Amino acid sequence: MFEFLFKYPWTAFSKGSLVWLGFGPVWVLPLVIVLGAAILGWLLWRRRFGTGAVARTAAVWALQTAFFALLLAMLWQPALSVATLKPQQNIVAVVVDDSRSMAIRDGGSMRRDEARHALDRLLPSLSQRFQVRLYRLGQSAERVQSPRAFQATAPATHIGDGLRQIIADSATLPVGAVVLLSDGADNSGGIDLDTLSELRAKQIPVQTVGFGSERLDRDIELLEVQTPQSSLAGSRVAAQISFRQRGFAGQKAKIVVRDGANILAMREITLPADGAQQSEPLLFQSGNPGVRNLAASIDPLPGEENPANNRMTRVMEVRGDKPRILYVEGEPRWEFKFIRRAMDEDHNVQLVTLLRATQNKNYRQGIADPKELEEGFPARREDLFGYSALVLGSLEANWLTPAQHEMIREFVDRRGGGLLFLAGRFGLAEGGYAKEPFTDLLPVTLPSHRNTYHIAPAYVDLTMAGRDSLICRLVDDPQVNAERWKKLPYMMNWQEPGTPKAGAAVLAESIPGGARNRYPLLVTQNFGRGRTSVFASSGSWRWQMLQPVEDKSHETFWRQMMRWLVTGTPGPVVLTTPSPIVADDSRVKLRAEVRDKTYTPAPDAQVEARVIGPDGSSGTVTMRPDPAEPGIYAAEYSAPVAGSYIAEAVARRGKDELGRGVAAFRREDGVAEEFHTEQNRELLERLATQTGGRYYRPADAARITDEITYSPAGISVRQTLDLWNMPVLFLLALALRSGEWLLRRRWGLI
Amino acid sequence: MRICFVVSGLFLALLCLAAYAQKEFREYPGVEYENFPLPPDYRDKTEFTRARLIYPSVRYGWRRFNSWTIDYPRSDRHLLAGIRRLTRIDTRSVEQPVNPDDGDDIFNWPFLYAVEVGHWDLTDAQCGKIREFLLRGGFLMVDDFHGTQEWDVFIASMSRILPEHPIVELDNKDPIFHTLYDLDERFQVAGAQYFDSGKTYEKDGYEPRWRGIYDDKGRVMVAICHNMDLGDAWEWSDDPRYPEKWASLAYRIGVNYLIYDMTH
Repeated sequence: MFEFLFKYPWTAFSKGSLVWLGFGPVWVLPLVIVLGAAILGWLLWRRRFGTGAVARTAAVWALQTAFFALLLAMLWQPALSVATLKPQQNIVAVVVDDSRSMAIRDGGSMRRDEARHALDRLLPSLSQRFQVRLYRLGQSAERVQSPRAFQATAPATHIGDGLRQIIADSATLPVGAVVLLSDGADNSGGIDLDTLSELRAKQIPVQTVGFGSERLDRDIELLEVQTPQSSLAGSRVAAQISFRQRGFAGQKAKIVVRDGANILAMREITLPADGAQQSEPLLFQSGNPGVRNLAASIDPLPGEENPANNRMTRVMEVRGDKPRILYVEGEPRWEFKFIRRAMDEDHNVQLVTLLRATQNKNYRQGIADPKELEEGFPARREDLFGYSALVLGSLEANWLTPAQHEMIREFVDRRGGGLLFLAGRFGLAEGGYAKEPFTDLLPVTLPSHRNTYHIAPAYVDLTMAGRDSLICRLVDDPQVNAERWKKLPYMMNWQEPGTPKAGAAVLAESIPGGARNRYPLLVTQNFGRGRTSVFASSGSWRWQMLQPVEDKSHETFWRQMMRWLVTGTPGPVVLTTPSPIVADDSRVKLRAEVRDKTYTPAPDAQVEARVIGPDGSSGTVTMRPDPAEPGIYAAEYSAPVAGSYIAEAVARRGKDELGRGVAAFRREDGVAEEFHTEQNRELLERLATQTGGRYYRPADAARITDEITYSPAGISVRQTLDLWNMPVLFLLALALRSGEWLLRRRWGLI
Repeated sequence: MRICFVVSGLFLALLCLAAYAQKEFREYPGVEYENFPLPPDYRDKTEFTRARLIYPSVRYGWRRFNSWTIDYPRSDRHLLAGIRRLTRIDTRSVEQPVNPDDGDDIFNWPFLYAVEVGHWDLTDAQCGKIREFLLRGGFLMVDDFHGTQEWDVFIASMSRILPEHPIVELDNKDPIFHTLYDLDERFQVAGAQYFDSGKTYEKDGYEPRWRGIYDDKGRVMVAICHNMDLGDAWEWSDDPRYPEKWASLAYRIGVNYLIYDMTH
């Protein structure tokens, strides 16, 4: 219809510019129109039309002026100046998504077959005007000769990479336009800005045709599974499973985490409303040291359209090292004994204790050699930084020197260690910790008054943050866990810790017997590279003594507390990859952060990474220092086959080894293609709009040929298209004259 | 209605607290001492005090005397004063007699001392309670029993508390002898009968025996001081007639065992 009225397609108008071919300069046109309108007005005013003369005269004047202006405009010969591709001299790249998601059936027919049908309609008209090149799009664009080559078998879709390849072709070939037929299910994280900028710079429009349903009717899809990249052996670990569903609202489903054939954890959940995103934690034991391939899944329900997107695999390194925690206690007391007993049963964390038994005698336990802590609290950074966490019990701050205070700050801030303050007669405010650097380190602002330590019964209750925290998870079920905490025996003392700082998390509160007030009991926060916390009671030992010997609440809590302190503590060498999953790619970027014994960045180290693949083969890469960041080393490794890899970086300075860091990653081929299988119309529309093209439904694909004609890319000529003879102008002139005639007839003047 | 709910909830919470909470200090008439003066700070709330086990004694004919109160309370208070002076432990000035039949009270006092256990005669319920106390992490020190006959009486109850755990001689290298003082050289600590008899032993208990029972993790949970009388040594440590070396060893043993308990 548009083309019937306006003679040319919309694209011609959107891409062209208006020119006037008439006999005079264009500025004369409005002048003549104004003059004509004035003369018409004067003539009509002289012949005013009876009753209501002013309104009738004005209406007639307006219609006649509009008609007069229209005629003048046509006389001035308006035209459209637009670039058009020269016939048969330009290439149109027709790119067809040939990934596995194109094999999905929407409403009975396969997306691939719909694309073939669209090509059958489109290719003949394109071939009449242009040279057509067919491309098969997977991880890259590959030229094919016939639409029969499209089998929907490519393991991934990288639209950006494919377009970049075509841009490269356009350097030597006159590419006039790109036609992309796809479901938009890109697995490379979208189209990068560089590719878009280059397309715009070359003025190559991308016309997109979208296939596939924009919404599956019955499907459960995992959106993300988050697991820690590494964990200590024997730790309780949480997998956070996020998903969305359509068509199964309110139904029950099972979420499962497996390691190979072993089920590590399983729970029944109720599915949320259609389209709503839900996130469920699933707790499991990390097990023995090694690399875990954790498969998180939701068991498929009957009638699911795409069960393949119910499962994701993540890789986690279970560390075999045994972090050491230094616990310095200022007085013998029961809390010390029972914390030690709880940690005695943890074979993956070692508690080293320094106890002020008398005014001048320390009692050491868990030491590696007789010299360790012989002189009391470490006086050298390299000695203190050998521990992964530090616990300060009922110990006067002044027992430590100002230099040791500063070392403790650096222990957390620079070394990345964990720090726990315990309550006591000489703990927190009673111990004189309301001074630098402890005021910075503490997750609370200590009270300004004294007598904050109370020997009186208090119960404990979890906060909302505590219900979600792994530190406080005595049993897996969050609801049962919260009830379990309420039923813990009383503590016979508690301490006012002060006010939690902004950014700190209060995980548990103490409720003194008979009191209405609650006081923060367990507060945590991140500080620098490390983390700090406060436990404002020394009475948790009654959770052990006042409960049956089979009850493990006390041991579980303290083990999890201590593991929280050390789990995030980095070693001198930290090896990382941008993501633990490398999807449909072989290139893996390795990054090592290397520090010396005082945890100062080491820019002069020699760093090598050894990578062991899923088949047991290994390779070594030398990591190069990053000149912009001291202590950072980088390398790229090529993972030859799909599967799990473990990389170990070794840093040396001369003959001395500074440390080792381990990272696990997994190469997955073709898995990402099973996810986000609904048509990504938004991506296709954005790509078209930003490059000067348009998005089409398959039924409208045949119109693309006309659109492409008006492309500025390739070999084009500028054409001038007359507009004065557009049918719409004649219809408008007719309407104006008819309108005046109808009015005059109505007023009885004819 | 809401106020009633809150009040009843608070009342229930207080009831629970009362049921759980440790017992207040209390005094009993002893075999040797009655109306022993209380120190002015006896009400102080502290981290530690030594608990003295109340137990039923064996009958001799129709007579059954409270052997658990031997040396009580003078011995306890001398030792507690010593602990205050020698360590950084926050210590109460008075002891805490603990009856295993008093509900869960025993579990509030992780260091339990029993004297004259050569005369104890525990019921099955008491054995079960003390067993649970030990397995949860409590520590029991027994003292002041001598010779074969009293050993047999001790074993008659002890074997019902921890039948699966053997009684062994404590090695000199065991940390319990080295927590604060290195006590490789130990000797028999005589009781006050020495004043009259001049003998360091009683009955056929000629040799002091430093024995113990270990838990599954290799920690001493019962320390058995057989053929010696540390209780008398603490009790008479302020008497010039009592030899200083015995009193000193008794205090060192008491402190070492306590520090051991508080660290293991």
